[in-house]
Formats: sequence, C-alpha cells, structure tokens
Amino acid sequence: MAQSAPVLRPGGEAGYGPLPRRAGARLRASLKDGTVIRWFGAGGALIPVLALGFILVILTVRAWPAIRYNGWGFFTGTTWAEGNLYGNSVRTGGVLHPPGAAYGALPAIIGTLGTSAIALVIAVPVAIGTALVIVERLPKRLASLVGGFLELLAGLPSVVVGLWGAVTFGPFIAHDIAPLIARNMPDVPVLSYFRGSTGNGQGMLVSGLILAIMIIPIVAATTRDLLGQVPILPREGAVALGMSEWETTRRVTLPWVGGGIVGAVVLGLGRALGETMAVAMTCGAVLSTVPSNIYQTMTTIAATVVQTMDTAFLDGTGFALRSLAELCLVLMLITLTTNVVARLLVRRVSGTALPVGRGL
Amino acid sequence: MSIEAGREKHPAAVPGTDVAAAAQGARPSASDPGEASLRATDLTLGFGQRAILTGVNVEIRRGSVTALIGPTGSGKTTLLRTFNRMNDKVAGYRHSGDVLLDGQSIWHPGVELMALRRKVGMLFQRPNPFPMSIMDNVVAGVKAHRMAGRGELKSIARDRLSEVGLWDAVSERLKDSPFRLSGGQQQLLCLARALAVGPEVLLLDEPTSSLDPIATESIEALIRTLVPALTVVIVTHNLAQARRVADRTIFLNNGRLVEHGETGQMFEDPAEEETARYVSGRFG
Ligand SMILES: Nc1ncnc2c1ncn2[C@@H]1O[C@H](COP(=O)(O)OP(=O)(O)O)[C@@H](O)[C@H]1O
Ligand SMILES: [Mg+2]
Repeated sequence: MAQSAPVLRPGGEAGYGPLPRRAGARLRASLKDGTVIRWFGAGGALIPVLALGFILVILTVRAWPAIRYNGWGFFTGTTWAEGNLYGNSVRTGGVLHPPGAAYGALPAIIGTLGTSAIALVIAVPVAIGTALVIVERLPKRLASLVGGFLELLAGLPSVVVGLWGAVTFGPFIAHDIAPLIARNMPDVPVLSYFRGSTGNGQGMLVSGLILAIMIIPIVAATTRDLLGQVPILPREGAVALGMSEWETTRRVTLPWVGGGIVGAVVLGLGRALGETMAVAMTCGAVLSTVPSNIYQTMTTIAATVVQTMDTAFLDGTGFALRSLAELCLVLMLITLTTNVVARLLVRRVSGTALPVGRGL
Repeated sequence: MSIEAGREKHPAAVPGTDVAAAAQGARPSASDPGEASLRATDLTLGFGQRAILTGVNVEIRRGSVTALIGPTGSGKTTLLRTFNRMNDKVAGYRHSGDVLLDGQSIWHPGVELMALRRKVGMLFQRPNPFPMSIMDNVVAGVKAHRMAGRGELKSIARDRLSEVGLWDAVSERLKDSPFRLSGGQQQLLCLARALAVGPEVLLLDEPTSSLDPIATESIEALIRTLVPALTVVIVTHNLAQARRVADRTIFLNNGRLVEHGETGQMFEDPAEEETARYVSGRFG
C-alpha cells in the first residue's frame, strides 16, 4: 500500500516528490487524492452482494439436511406435516426427524405464484394508468396532493390491509363479485379455474387482490416519478407529427421510461411474492391442498412459514425449522429469478432505444 | 378511459387517394408558386396579459423558403408554433385574428387538428428522435395516421432516408437506437420522419442551432431541395443562414412584424431603418 501510493494518485505527475514519511501525512495524502473514499465506496458497493451471498449460504447450510431428506418430493408433494412431535425421533439417511414428517411445498409454491400473478395482472395497468393521469391530466396542485396520498398508501402497514381484507373486502368479493364471475366464465381450459364454488372470502383471489392493492401505490408512485422525467421535446415532436395524446403516451412517453417501469413492476412483484401478514390473514391458511379454483382457500410460502413457525419450534429434532429454511430458500430463488428475467427483458426491449441519460 | 378522452379522429375525411399519394411522398404540386400557402390576418398573439405580437398581416408563399428573423424574444417561435397550433394547449396562450392555410382558417371547427399537423410539419431546435429504432422513427407518423400497410413501411423508410441523405449511413442499422447517431444525423432523421407523412408546409425552428457547421450545411442544402414541392418557414438567428436559404424574409421586432420582402432586398436595401440596423448588426 505504502509503496503503491504514488501510482494510485491521479494526475500524480505534479506531486511526484519524495514519499511522505509520517503515517499521518500519508493518510492525509490518500484522503486528499480520493484513495480512502474509493476504498469506502468499493466496500459500500460490495455490501449488497455480500449480504445476499451470506443469506443464501446460511439458509442453504440450515436447510441442507431437509433438502437431502425431502428430495425432489419437496416440489411435487402436497402434504405439509411435521409428523409426530412426541414420538421417538427417526434417523433416515443420517437425518434426524420426527416419525411421519412429510414436507411437500407444491401448494405454497402455486399459491405464491398464483396470488402474485393475480396481483400483477391487476396492479400493473391500474398503477400505470394512475401515474399517467397524475402526470398528464391533473393540475399541478392536485397532482402533488394525490401523489402524496399514494406515498402514504405505499407505507400502509400490511396488518391493517390484512385485517380489512379479512373482515370487509374478502366477504364482499365472495358474496358480490365472485359468484358473478364464476357463473359467467366459460368452461374452457384456464378459464375453468374461475368457475365453481366461490368460498367464503378467504382464498387465492382475495389474497391476490389484496396484494394488488398493496403494490399499486408502489408501482404508481415510482412510475409517476419516472414519467415526470420524460423531456418535453420528444413528446412535442410526436404532437407536431399529428399523433393524438394517447398515441404520444403509448409510442413516446411510456417507452422513454419503459426500462424503469419494468424495474418498478419488479419491485412490486418482489413485495407481492414475499408479502406475509396480509396474505396470511386472507388466504385461509390451508397448507396441504392445491386450490382447485381461484376462490379456494390456500397458502403461500410466506404465509406457511409464519403459520407453522410456532409448531416448528416444538420439533425437538429441528427438522421442521430446517424445512422452513428450505421453503425460504425456494422463495428467495423465485424472487431472484424473476428479478434476473425482468432485467434481461429490459435489456432486450430497450436495447435499441435507451434514451435515459443519453442523447438530447 | 379519461386518457383517451382527448383523442381525435384519424384523418379519415381525407380521400384515400390523397393519403396513399402522401404516403408515397408525392406532394401537392406547386401549381401557382406566387399564391399564399399560409396567410395571417390581423394576428395578435400573447401569453396571459402580455402581448407577444400585434397585428401581424403576412402571406407565406407556396413553394418558397421564408425566413423568420428577429432578436431573441421577438416572437419568432411563438408565431411559428401558431401555424400548426402547437401553442393551443400552452398555459396562457391567446390569439386573435386568423391564420389561413390554403384559404381556410386553421381554427375552423371543421379542421381536424391531427390532419392539420400532418399537413404542417415541424422540426425543432434540437433533434428529438423517439425511443424506438431508426426505422420505426421514420415511419412513426405514417403508422399513427394509418397511411400505409405494414408491407410498405420499409420502402417508405428507405425513400425518406435517401431523400435526406441518411440512407447510406444507417441502412445497416435500421433496428438500432437513434440516440447513437450524431446530432446532425438525428436531425436529418427527424426531417425524414416529418417528410414521411407528406406535409405541405414544413416549419423549422432554428433547426441547425445545435449542430456543427458541416451538419448545418447539409441541412441547408436539403432545405433548398424541398422547394418548390413544399412550403418552408425557417426561424433562424443566423442572418447568413437566412441569406443562404431563404427566398423571402420576415423581420419581427418589438412585438410587430416590421418588414417582409425578398431576402436580397431585405438585406441590401431594406425599407425600414429598424431592419437596416438589425441586418447590419448595428442593433440595440
Ligand atoms: N409558454 C410561454 N409562456 C409565457 N411566455 C412565453 C411562453 N413562450 C414564450 N414566451 C414569451 O414570449 C416571448 C417570445 O418568445 P419566442 O417566441 O420564443 O421568441 P423567439 O423565438 O423570437 O426568441 C418571449 O418574451 C418569451 O418569454
Ligand atoms: Mg425561438
């Protein structure tokens, strides 16, 4: 470090005198030329990477015996059972577990993906529409007022939303909305999942809608900020070409920040995949059944973890907790995968036109 | 949805043959070059309480290049943007008097705004490509006005890019981002985009003010090739440029149109003392 100090100094030609002798002087010099700042910066930039790697490693180590014992059946099985916690522990292939323990995460995985899909399908158009109205339609004062409320809404505690969903929103959907949909859906593949018994207000659709309500403010607030940054010049160019307002929005304004909007949606998706309390309160918490239609009670990964945490601690072998760690690992992998896929998508879509920070 | 509330109908009223012809790049022939394409009568423009231009009466001749000159803030841009009603939605903008395009008021209730802007195209002070590929940029207006089928887009793009002299430079990268082109190339692309919808009039607001001399020269040369098929109005703060490209020149100052005439006469033998002082650089 001491020897290489002059090399690191940018534009060091001017200061290429003899090396400063005292440590204090050396420190002062490296403070001045930015070496110290750069080291701090590099450290700071590494923290997220290290944190992510650390969590993945810890989870994997914790879950390892469960991964070995549960095998691939973890992804195909539908039973989530801790086994007989009061019986004598059994050792299978070197893994200690209660007799009768069986862990299949398929219902939770399907529930997680299903509720998040419902949430995205509803939230993305509503959020983008909301952001557009705020930026392009509302007068300035009203726009900042509505925007402020949006940010407030984004910070609403999920337990509040969950309680409202369980007590008011869920029953409303089950009694007044779901029957209408169920009765009118044709009996064809995919759409047949919208038919059948509509439940009592706890289930996949209600949880998905609750998630939509929770991520709309997040996506809308971010999109609003992005839209506010689109310069006037290309938009005027579209207007001068005789495009209508909607065409200008669709062909110029939205594509201008398209990559950013995908980022906002991924942010919302991450929230939806991992949201725990509001879903646990509205999903019905049925751990071992794959729902046969979108109204049925079900569970998600996060909801399963929070619902079975107490029981898991009672497992003297620790196997239940290890299985929960495995479940969390699956959730992390789903989140990371969607993130990476979205990023690749952005790169493909905006490879020909990524104007932010360029041109103009 | 409220977003679409402001959407105007497409120029379906324009006879199909006309649309097709425009897509092919054929423009209304300048049958009578002396006749007025645009005519302002008693035109007064302002923002809020402030008057920007008062009592403007002027004819823009069909098939010629007309330069709008005057000091900064004299209302050149305001007048130019009035011609295709770009200011209509700007806060505080007001106008009285009238502007006629081919004898009809541009504010007549029967005039479709989208169709008007297709006829009266515009190029801005700085290039403003859209966030889409080079090819899509050229045909963006053609698509918006549904002037051609999918199969014809490629040839329209090639013709327009050739017309502005950009084809050789971009033919290999039509799918690339326009933002990697040089400023001059971007402005040419915007010109190709404006030409693709077959305008009658082209409004240029200091189109070369952000460009280097070489790019400026190529744009100026191009402007001369656009007449007499098109009518061109160019705002410029560069008097030499007005002399090089314009057939006629309009001088705006102090909220009025001071003088309008042949470019040569305006610069060598202006009728007004005010004009003489401005064009000789002895201004203010
Ligand atoms: N949107 C606007 N609102 C209020 N005043 C404006 C607006 N646009 C231009 N002006 C004013 O109108 C005057 C003329 O502007 P402009 O037409 O841009 O001048 P020029 O193009 O000749 O430099 C300027 O004093 C300017 O401040
Ligand atoms: Mg101007």
